[in-house]
Amino acid sequence: MSLGELRRIAPLYRRYRRRYFLGALALVGAVVLRISVPYLLGRTVDVLRLAADDPEAAGVDAGNITSIALQGGLMIAAVALVGAVLRTFSRLFVLGNSRHAVHDLREEVMGHLVKLSPSYFGRNSTGKLMSRCVNDVQFVQSLLGPVFLYLAETAALYVVALSYMGSIDLRLTALAILPFPFFLWRSRRIATGIQVDSRASQEALGEVSAKVEESLSGGMVVRSLALEDFDYERFKKRGTEYRDVNLRLSRRRAWMGVNMHLLASTSTLIVLLVGGPMAARGEITLGDFVAMVFYLGMLAAPTGVLGFVISSLQRGAAALGRVGEMLDEEPTMADVPDAVEDPLVEGAISVRNLTITLENEKGVPRTVLDDLSLEVPSGSVLGIVGPTGAGKSVLLRALARQLEVEDGHIQYDAVDVNRRRIADLRAQLGYVPQEAFLFSMSLAANVALGRPEASREAVEESVAQSRLAQDLVQLPEGYDTLVGERGLNLSGGQRQRTALARVLLLQPKVLLLDDPFSAVDATTTDDILSGLKPFFAGRTTVLVAHRVATVQHADHILVMEEGRIVERGSHRELLALDGAYAALHRRQQERADLRHELGEEEHG
Amino acid sequence: MVRVSYAGEPGDKQGAAFDKKIVRRLWGFVQPHQRWLWFGLGCLLAVSACRLTMPWLIKLAIDQHLALGDLSGYYPLLGAFAAVALVDTFLRRSQQIAVETGGQNALLDLRLRLFRHLQDLPAAYFDRTPTGRLVGRVTTDVEALQELFSSGVVTILGDLVFLITTLIILFSLHAKLALVAMIVVPILLVVTLLIRMRVRSAYVAMRAKLSEMNGYLHERLSGMSVVQMFNREGDTVRGYGAINDDTRDAQLKTVWWETSLSTSVEMLSSFTVAMILWYGGGLVAENWQTQGVAGGLTLGVLFAFIDYMQKFFQPLNELSLKYTVLQNAMTASRRIFDLLDVEDRLPVATRPEAPSAVVGEITFDKVTFGYDANNPVLRDVSFTVKPGEKVALVGATGAGKTTVLKLLTRLYDPQHGRILLDGIDLRAYDVQDLRRRIGLVPQDVFLFEGDILENIRLGNPDIDEQKAIEAASRLHLDELVSRFPHGWKEKVRERGRNLSSGEKQLISFARVLAASPRVLVLDEATSNVDSHTEHLLQEAVHDIMQGRTSLAIAHRLSTVRDSDRILVFHQGELAEEGGHDALMAEDGLYACLVKLQYSNSEAASLG
Repeated sequence: MSLGELRRIAPLYRRYRRRYFLGALALVGAVVLRISVPYLLGRTVDVLRLAADDPEAAGVDAGNITSIALQGGLMIAAVALVGAVLRTFSRLFVLGNSRHAVHDLREEVMGHLVKLSPSYFGRNSTGKLMSRCVNDVQFVQSLLGPVFLYLAETAALYVVALSYMGSIDLRLTALAILPFPFFLWRSRRIATGIQVDSRASQEALGEVSAKVEESLSGGMVVRSLALEDFDYERFKKRGTEYRDVNLRLSRRRAWMGVNMHLLASTSTLIVLLVGGPMAARGEITLGDFVAMVFYLGMLAAPTGVLGFVISSLQRGAAALGRVGEMLDEEPTMADVPDAVEDPLVEGAISVRNLTITLENEKGVPRTVLDDLSLEVPSGSVLGIVGPTGAGKSVLLRALARQLEVEDGHIQYDAVDVNRRRIADLRAQLGYVPQEAFLFSMSLAANVALGRPEASREAVEESVAQSRLAQDLVQLPEGYDTLVGERGLNLSGGQRQRTALARVLLLQPKVLLLDDPFSAVDATTTDDILSGLKPFFAGRTTVLVAHRVATVQHADHILVMEEGRIVERGSHRELLALDGAYAALHRRQQERADLRHELGEEEHG
Repeated sequence: MVRVSYAGEPGDKQGAAFDKKIVRRLWGFVQPHQRWLWFGLGCLLAVSACRLTMPWLIKLAIDQHLALGDLSGYYPLLGAFAAVALVDTFLRRSQQIAVETGGQNALLDLRLRLFRHLQDLPAAYFDRTPTGRLVGRVTTDVEALQELFSSGVVTILGDLVFLITTLIILFSLHAKLALVAMIVVPILLVVTLLIRMRVRSAYVAMRAKLSEMNGYLHERLSGMSVVQMFNREGDTVRGYGAINDDTRDAQLKTVWWETSLSTSVEMLSSFTVAMILWYGGGLVAENWQTQGVAGGLTLGVLFAFIDYMQKFFQPLNELSLKYTVLQNAMTASRRIFDLLDVEDRLPVATRPEAPSAVVGEITFDKVTFGYDANNPVLRDVSFTVKPGEKVALVGATGAGKTTVLKLLTRLYDPQHGRILLDGIDLRAYDVQDLRRRIGLVPQDVFLFEGDILENIRLGNPDIDEQKAIEAASRLHLDELVSRFPHGWKEKVRERGRNLSSGEKQLISFARVLAASPRVLVLDEATSNVDSHTEHLLQEAVHDIMQGRTSLAIAHRLSTVRDSDRILVFHQGELAEEGGHDALMAEDGLYACLVKLQYSNSEAASLG
């Protein structure tokens, strides 16, 4: 068992310790009262018996005998009532607190996650983090709530019931609970099996669902190729697998029931077998005998499912450990103690001997930027072209502080990037990544992401600058259209232009544009770029593109290949150099020429 | 995101928990497996008998042996108790397994039926219905029905028998005491049902909040770099915090109602014990006092009463649970049957024609079609493709090219005009036969679970492995496949994640070569591939068009140039028609399109 992680529970409990304590107290009270019912039952039986046999000895009037029964009944009713109230309190306290504690945990997790560096999110997929924040937190909740409640209740029940039973007869008690360990062991084993199969069942259902989704999304193709039967067989296979897992699971569950009932009847049988003759011989009273049978009934049910609870305890402890690990993660990108808060005045960028090595999915390190140096003077536009994998995006991510960089390699206005206050720096940087990410908010809110207080006019201006305005008429509610995952699915080009508008609205000192027009057609791209000319003035811009035409008007152009700068210069200079840039330009020109050629055929 | 079950959907009516028509239809699926249910019910009745016998045996033990101090015959009685307990335990197991087996089989049938139905629905249906909702029918909704079996709703008959038998026993034991014990029952029924409904709606609200919260979380985690870049950490924590607060409050509500439910059940059952004791205890004492002369009650009967009442309460409590399960199941069934009732189908030819000699002549005769009838996408389109002719379709996005292909594979029927294959109207063919005569290479390659060979053979018995490998090798797919450890038998991972887009397209071409249809319909993909693969693909396209009638939406200039004739579509009409050179010379639409489309896509593929 890996219960060591349970130490992490303490801080979660601490804030609600008073209420947990009260809850536990109420729980113990409720258990005592619940156990008292068979006790009172036995006592009443005995008193009645005594009174009936020998009223004088019992000191009661013969006519009063029904009032003894009434007294017993009222007592039990009162005990039951108070017990129920206490039980309600204990559940409300404990289960309620588990929700409070988990609520706090979620808040803590989110507060922590937003501080973690981009590399953390690179190492941990969203799916994995979701599993931490949803499934694991759910396990922790059941650990703090039902598991705690159940264990505390069972413990209290054992203590109280066993001491009542022991006070009746020790030997009988010992014999009656003799089979408990065996059934407990069985229940553990069954519970483990159920857990395994439950997971398998969940997965099988996921497969069924994935298959339906696949067949629906590929429905046209399946139909056109007349592959319905072929596809059906595949679905049938998944469906049958799911049925089989479920049947296996239900067989295991049925064993759980067997275990519980056998436990109850075995211990009842022992009491009948051993206690019966004792009652007949008068060694214990008939009332004690009846109470004993009821006590065992109360113990049997929780003991039978204890295996489940222990499994949940382990699962909860493991989940707690994983969540804890996430909280222990130190943000690798944090402000240094004496961080520079000055805003960028010039916006000059200087990169010196920057080397970045990243691991691919298989964990193999690869140098993506190799001893790179470059200067971008304030107010200039730097264009970067190069094949996929040349390191252009990595360079931009490093400039945008989306990647940890060692000290001394990147400077903004002659101050090392790691010495600047992150929030201040980011507020001055307009970074548009290749993949435009929109949130499920209105289009206007997405544009105003970095400046929620921006006026509608300002938003409209940015939208116009990024040539998104022309698409607004197509959107059902214009600026108020909900976009993102849960909203309207914008086209790739529309998303890119939204992301661009978002950055334009920030009026940043430095623009870092990572091929923001890859899904935008050439005409619109040219249109946007020429419109942005005044915007670029007085700002420093780094523009990555796959089309030579996009960067040809830049003040300075770099050609990158395999993490290195292979050529640099202006458009004219690079053409004169007749190297990689010129070749790329030629190839792209050829395509254009091809259409010209086709176009010229018409004249000739 | 996982869809929340029973958060309700637009169009859901909160109907009754029992709808005869729906139950009858559900029974249709259960019927083939009904013997399992009957067996389960039989077991349940036997279990009930056991459960009723055990308190009776203890009563006998107390009254005839223990109270009298007479142990003769006591041990055989215990033997009987042990035997009954054992039988009870294992019959319960059999009952549970039998019912679930019947249920799981019935639900599998239902799932398969739904899947078949979805396959049979015409393409037009899917244009209107979101995929997520349909997936929910086959998964979540069928899951809700599963509860019918696992929670024992289907064996509710057994519960009723048990309850009635218990009542009879109690009344025959002591009618007055039975009446006293029953006082609480109606209160219990009403209270549990009322609270159970609150529990249910509290859960629905809680799940909705939870799913909203997880949706928010998922989005913020995916876009964390944007959050950080725009300094929106504070907003994110606050936004999440607000939903987190709501979720907690919704959860607290469920805790409250669930606790109230268990509390009230427990309280009422204790009250019943108290009542029995108060009234019955007096009778027992009276009995002892008068040495049994005045009749009355023995201690054994009193014990049996309490025991029976506790056993009586259990199915009674579950009744309200079963009611809500039934309610959910009815809602789910209604949705499922609404889907199964969709009778939207392409008309089927009563006596399908199947010309044995396939020539491969395609004729569009004054075809007009719109996905929405008032909004035609194709207008009065007529053309003929001669056997063996290679025709390219060209036009701007939305001009109607894809629609032509969809009509030819009879995913839709035209509203006016007709389409002929080898002189026979498409509607006169058996639709599957028709589609087998036409080889389609779609833009998005659809890969099935299984290995590469299976994906080329597609379950066609006429194509053996040898033939499939030959076809694929002609397209040089063998080179690409050789890098896999299992070669041709390499498993295709979910939707071909382990294959490049070029490889996927080659597989799609290999399918056509292997199946060797007379007519080829090609919707060329626009994806970017490296120059070597591009070369392979161009050759492959050339290869598969060889000797076939082909109709292609071309994205490669080479494909256009390769074709015998070009049909230019503009806003749903056939605008120009002719060879490449002739059309370029016209300097019309085609020339313009070539400039726009082919320059862009080719430039983009350079990266």
